[in-house]
Amino acid sequence: MSIVKDIPSAKKPFKRAYVGIFLWFTGRAIQAAAKVDKEVKKEFDNLPDDFTFSLGCLPNGPSMVIGKRNGAVKYLGGNPGQHKVHVRLAIKSVDAAFLILSFQESTALATTRNRLITDGEVPYALAVIRILDIVEVYLLPKIIAGLAVKRYPKQWSAGRKLGGRIGIYTRTILGI
Amino acid sequence: MLLPDYYEFCCRVKIVAGHDALEKIPELLTERGAKRPLIITDKGVASAGLIDIVSAALKDRLFADLIADNVPPDSDLRVVNQLAKLYQENDCDAIIAVGGGSVMDTAKGVNIVVSENAADLMAFSGVGALKRPLKPLIAVPTTAGTGSEVTQVAVIKDHEKHLKMAFGSYFLLPDISVLDSRMTMTMPPLITAMTGMDALSHAVEAYYCLQKNPLSDAHSLAAVRMIYHYLPIVAENPSDRNARLSMAVGACLAGIAFSNSMVGLVHNLGHATGSVCGVPHGICMAIMLPYGLEYNMHKREEAIAGLLLPMTGEAVYRETPPAQRADKVVSLIRQLNADLNTITGGRHARFFQEVKDREGKPLVPREVLPEIARAALSDGASIYNPEDTDYEDNLMVLEAAWEGIPLDRNKIKRG
Amino acid sequence: MNPVPVFAFTCPVKTNSGNKALEHLPVELAGLNACRPLIITSAKAVGRKAIRTLQNAFGDSGMTLGLFDGVTKTADLGLIEHLKNICLGKKYDAIIALGGYDIVDAAKVLNLAVSLKMADAHKLSPQTPVLRHLSPLVVVPTAAASGLETSKFAHFSRRIYSSEYLAPNLVVIDPRLTRAADGKTIAATGLAALGRAVESHISADANPFRDAYSFAAIRFVKENLPAAVNKPADRKASLAILNAASMSGCAASEANSARLHKLGQVFYDMQHIPTGVIMGMCLPHVLGDYLQEGVNDLAALLLPLVGDDEFSRTPAAKRADAALAVLGRFLADLYGALGKDLPRNLREAGVPGYIMEDILDVLGKDNEGPYLRTVVERIAG
Repeated sequence: MSIVKDIPSAKKPFKRAYVGIFLWFTGRAIQAAAKVDKEVKKEFDNLPDDFTFSLGCLPNGPSMVIGKRNGAVKYLGGNPGQHKVHVRLAIKSVDAAFLILSFQESTALATTRNRLITDGEVPYALAVIRILDIVEVYLLPKIIAGLAVKRYPKQWSAGRKLGGRIGIYTRTILGI
Repeated sequence: MLLPDYYEFCCRVKIVAGHDALEKIPELLTERGAKRPLIITDKGVASAGLIDIVSAALKDRLFADLIADNVPPDSDLRVVNQLAKLYQENDCDAIIAVGGGSVMDTAKGVNIVVSENAADLMAFSGVGALKRPLKPLIAVPTTAGTGSEVTQVAVIKDHEKHLKMAFGSYFLLPDISVLDSRMTMTMPPLITAMTGMDALSHAVEAYYCLQKNPLSDAHSLAAVRMIYHYLPIVAENPSDRNARLSMAVGACLAGIAFSNSMVGLVHNLGHATGSVCGVPHGICMAIMLPYGLEYNMHKREEAIAGLLLPMTGEAVYRETPPAQRADKVVSLIRQLNADLNTITGGRHARFFQEVKDREGKPLVPREVLPEIARAALSDGASIYNPEDTDYEDNLMVLEAAWEGIPLDRNKIKRG
Repeated sequence: MNPVPVFAFTCPVKTNSGNKALEHLPVELAGLNACRPLIITSAKAVGRKAIRTLQNAFGDSGMTLGLFDGVTKTADLGLIEHLKNICLGKKYDAIIALGGYDIVDAAKVLNLAVSLKMADAHKLSPQTPVLRHLSPLVVVPTAAASGLETSKFAHFSRRIYSSEYLAPNLVVIDPRLTRAADGKTIAATGLAALGRAVESHISADANPFRDAYSFAAIRFVKENLPAAVNKPADRKASLAILNAASMSGCAASEANSARLHKLGQVFYDMQHIPTGVIMGMCLPHVLGDYLQEGVNDLAALLLPLVGDDEFSRTPAAKRADAALAVLGRFLADLYGALGKDLPRNLREAGVPGYIMEDILDVLGKDNEGPYLRTVVERIAG
């Protein structure tokens, strides 16, 4: 017997599933936010017509793809391979993705901790990060979102927060 | 000293520094098994006589027909491909880049082409496309400011297709950076002042930005100490060779710090002002630096106060009550700009209103500030700034920097 | 901080430190063009749990790992030859050394043999020329570290290999692996880091680039070692100590004066006493002598040791003495906290009398031999 053993790497089905579900949820929430929130809508309006971006984890983990199609923002599923992607956000491992998507680490923090690789034109990537920040504020209770974004937008009106939140949650769940 | 929950740090560049550091190049080439280096530079560097100094130092490693001085001020894919051909046809085995940012970028581009036998440079653009060491690259900076001798990025422009290709990889770090006082000795006071402030802005921003870590901090502190002390000295006495070498070392330390910790608001608004109005980068950095500190003060007061001791030494530190140390740092940097303004006979601008072109025409009319504020939203440095910035924030800071008045900190939005 | 005429510094090591650092390894290796790493470790030294933690970090990567977990203190070129053949045969394309001391030394020498594709690894020697980058080498330190893991040196089979290409490409410091089983292990690691960093920081050939590493290392040991020793389960404190160890190796790679290192090394080679234990015993003596000789800048230690406020209050002429006094109190507290677990002299360390002759013999061959022997006499107890 050789003194060197070969060990295939294990699987991480639980974390993969969690990350997969959250990516799906976030994807649909972005689609919803583009209809409900003026600022998100404006960010998308400034992007090119066929603009597409993906958020996923390396080396072969789950992903989600969002794109503008005929003027509407759509969640395009979990396979970036089929699309021409303008901005690719890649988290370095499924564990790092778990940290981010279980809100132990914010998008900004993950970027500064070198966990997130950003590929694509910088102005587009920044727009995507701004969109993600706004969506996080809608999806999360203030105490968590306050950690997830640099500056929690306290100047938002109560109506924008509550109305937006209800609208985005409803649309996310119904997929409209 | 703060240990972040997670950080990465890397600077694999071998630094060789001294008054006669260039004379080490033949030995350094031998250590890497290289015999025929291609020298890449630009006309300005060559006409300042700097290539003659490098040539003399290279001795039998110099091949007169392997000096290319046609790098344009803006990196150009055509030149990259032409120089790569020159390298390959002459069986070169190393590159020596002598110059500033554009020369370094061009040399890195050439290195990708010759190491990877790349027919299409585009295939290697983006982050992480390079996966193995390239040919030996020796960087000889001729300004003490950009830090590009220790950065892992390069930007090459394809002027025919109007494309800007960005490359990022640890394999793009030069193998060796040679810091020699003779390379900056002839820099005039105005250029010395603005490049020096560029270096100071790297060191200071690296110390308060979000990606700071213990190693970037240690580099920042050393850089701030050297640059703050020696910059007025070299601006006043351009031929002080110890001060020149200290500036080269300080700028390099600052380059290492910021390429690991990144930069924030100062660079964010500075880049935007540069691209909208064509103001030289160093001027933008000098003007913006106090404002970057003020804008982020409520989040980073302790870090900013930590810059006081390296800047002023013990006496001033002791005399300044702890609660005023961060403010003192800001006022000292304003004072440094004012001193440089005096030394350069008023040519080193302290605020945007003062920036003029050769004909004396203002370069930054007040009406363009909104355009700059918008352009800044597309610049990546905002990610690493401690406090968030939007259009209104940018405009508020730009207005103050235009007039030359301190930022009204009550107006800064907080979360 | 006036630079000396011509100086050079290089640190080829990238640092990844902190939460989930191990999980970045698949991406880091891919960036180095590697997809089939071989883990070199010692199950006895690092424990099965540490090996499992490292393996699990590759979960979901699809990579297959090789594992050799039998490095011993007596590893020789015969083992390297054997492993080299396996590496070349099974096409491993990177080496991950899990642990410290001999494990990393063996991994460095193995990397040399594999990268140079030596026909016979027995022919390796410190004179073997190394003129190019070797295959990717990653070091994943555990609590017991000598500090030399990140250096360009490999102490292997009584010989010292030295080349900047021997240093690892990457050190991954993960808090799940840096917590020590007990206070004395982390104390030894911290003292080794302190000794190396101090010696680099005060040396006459110091330069600002190297000082950045030694400064951060000294500050981290001073601020975190007491907590790490008193509460070995403290994640952050032990992580800081292993950071300091890693930085101290980067600084020590380039430093010339190395009395503490030589003393620590000889007792490790002959008696397997952790390097830091001996360095701790020698530190006051060696620094006291440096002060007397007046060549080294001991005053430079005060700022990293005490911070801005106390430094500024101390007049320049008193800084060297103040630094030694601070170090003295720091060591006294450490010995007080650990009691019998951290020996104060060679007698307490259980170094048998008959071995002393051999140790003095080895030291005698050094160019500073006569001096080093006086230190050994002073720590005999």
